[in-house]
Amino acid sequence: MIQKKICMIGASGVGKTSLISKFVHSMFSDKYLTTVGVKIDKKTVAVDGAEVMLMIWDLEGDDDYQRLQTSYLRGSSGYLLVADGTRQITLDQAIEIQGRVTAAIGPVPFLLALNKADLVSQWEIDQSRVDDLTARGWKSFKTSAKEGAGVEEAFVELSRQMIQPP
Amino acid sequence: MSKLERDSRAGAVLEVLGIAVFVHASGALRISGQPPDWLRLIWPTVTEPDATLPGSSAFLENFLIDARECWTAGGEKRARSGPWVEQTADGNELSLEATALTIGGQAILLLERLGEVFEAKKSMLQKARETVIAYQRLNSEMQKKEILLHCISEEMNAALANVITSLRLIELEKDPTRIGQLLRLASRATEEQQTLINKVLNVFAAELEGLRGRDGTAMAQTQLGDAVRAAEENVAPQFADKGVRLRLAGSGLDEMRVAMDSTHLTRVLSTLLENALQSAPAGDEVRLNFAEESGAILIRISDNGPSFPPDICANLFSRAATAASGPQASHLPLQFCRIAVENCDGEIGYESRHEGGNTFWVMLPTPAAPK
Ligand SMILES: Nc1nc2c(ncn2[C@@H]2O[C@H](COP(=O)(O)OP(=O)(O)OP(=O)(O)O)[C@@H](O)[C@H]2O)c(=O)[nH]1
Ligand SMILES: [Mg+2]
Repeated sequence: MIQKKICMIGASGVGKTSLISKFVHSMFSDKYLTTVGVKIDKKTVAVDGAEVMLMIWDLEGDDDYQRLQTSYLRGSSGYLLVADGTRQITLDQAIEIQGRVTAAIGPVPFLLALNKADLVSQWEIDQSRVDDLTARGWKSFKTSAKEGAGVEEAFVELSRQMIQPP
Repeated sequence: MSKLERDSRAGAVLEVLGIAVFVHASGALRISGQPPDWLRLIWPTVTEPDATLPGSSAFLENFLIDARECWTAGGEKRARSGPWVEQTADGNELSLEATALTIGGQAILLLERLGEVFEAKKSMLQKARETVIAYQRLNSEMQKKEILLHCISEEMNAALANVITSLRLIELEKDPTRIGQLLRLASRATEEQQTLINKVLNVFAAELEGLRGRDGTAMAQTQLGDAVRAAEENVAPQFADKGVRLRLAGSGLDEMRVAMDSTHLTRVLSTLLENALQSAPAGDEVRLNFAEESGAILIRISDNGPSFPPDICANLFSRAATAASGPQASHLPLQFCRIAVENCDGEIGYESRHEGGNTFWVMLPTPAAPK
């Protein structure tokens, strides 16, 4: 079986842990428990007939209190860059972090997850900004760790990009 | 005290602290002394003295790359893994941290189970992060309020402008029927202003909710014809003042319905018409086109005035305009339009035409086929 390491990257509270929890354990909690340090989960996905075992590294949110440790990214085949659609600023942070990640491990496949898609009335991220990113070659998914929408799709699509580089 | 005694005492201290010491020898990391109890919960095979560290932790395997670098460098150099969570055989979780260091030429790996200090740090970070998020939300809430407040002032101002213009026109008017019409307009504008003041006093919170939450708006239905006529009446005095005609184009206006609250739609249309009037040359015209396109209504409002410069176009509807550059008064009503339109799943946009002139367009879903 193919084994791939991926990392969850993004600002604090955007839903990195929740996305893993939904994807791996089909669970969601409204309570916010910040991640301090690293936790690794595993899950097998089927991608175009191939089985891929994902080693998912849940990293702590990058903020003023704790900077992303690039040594954790070593050996990553890809990453999920997560932003909170209800907080525009987390998209700016994601873009900034993406620059640092690329500087550290080079251009590996990644997807942008615009999470909390269920909170439609609080949505803050302008479609035009997403379109700009798409024009730069970024692929993005609207996800909801709460309702599950787009979650599996995002992980599977990332896996697909990792096993068949363009 | 002999070296042996000292070493065994140091070992006992580490044991009490629950720190596992591994010594790097002949390619393997072997436990030194008695393994602490928690270690067995994770690696049941590490029970005997001298047992080797299993390579089953992906996190540790990654850290050992940094550890080897540290051991090769030797000296005072240390490498710390940072905290991580390891699953125990019985499904619990332990927070650990590893440290690599060299003592007397010997490569050492310490594994520590994190306790109270770590928990305290975690709860500090939890509070700090919650506060940051709450602050960000508050900030954005304030921006939205600022926009609404501004829109209400604008509306009151527009109503007042209508009263003033009507009064000025009455002064010049000789035709009694026309005077009657103008008086009715003026009195309607006055009432409107009063309603708005009441709104500010009472319904501000509800208005904000209505705009933000979709519960009310999702069910809303408005006849486009009614909203267009209401908007037309709103702006009529200002149009008359500048001698600009409003030309409607499209058919079936009265059959068209859109999934948007009628006050919001009227406000959006009035704002876009006022905008067009500002750019339109005196004595010219503003065109309002509407058409149904696959389950949506497209409304276009065009003028023949000079096109907006590109840097303004880019930020016309942007929220960033208030966040970054401070509130730019002229853009706030357009931001209101955007919020109102997007809240009912519509789209709003601007295009300059190469032959000159500006077009604002709004695409709104029809109630039957929400996008
Ligand atoms: N409504 C909604 N809430 C979500 C969603 N995803 C996460 N949340 C909530 O957002 C908060 C933060 O989620 P986490 O998964 O802990 O975020 P994180 O990115 O892991 O945060 P850090 O570990 O602090 O960096 C929690 O209260 C979650 O319940 C979602 O899709 N919808
Ligand atoms: Mg987390």
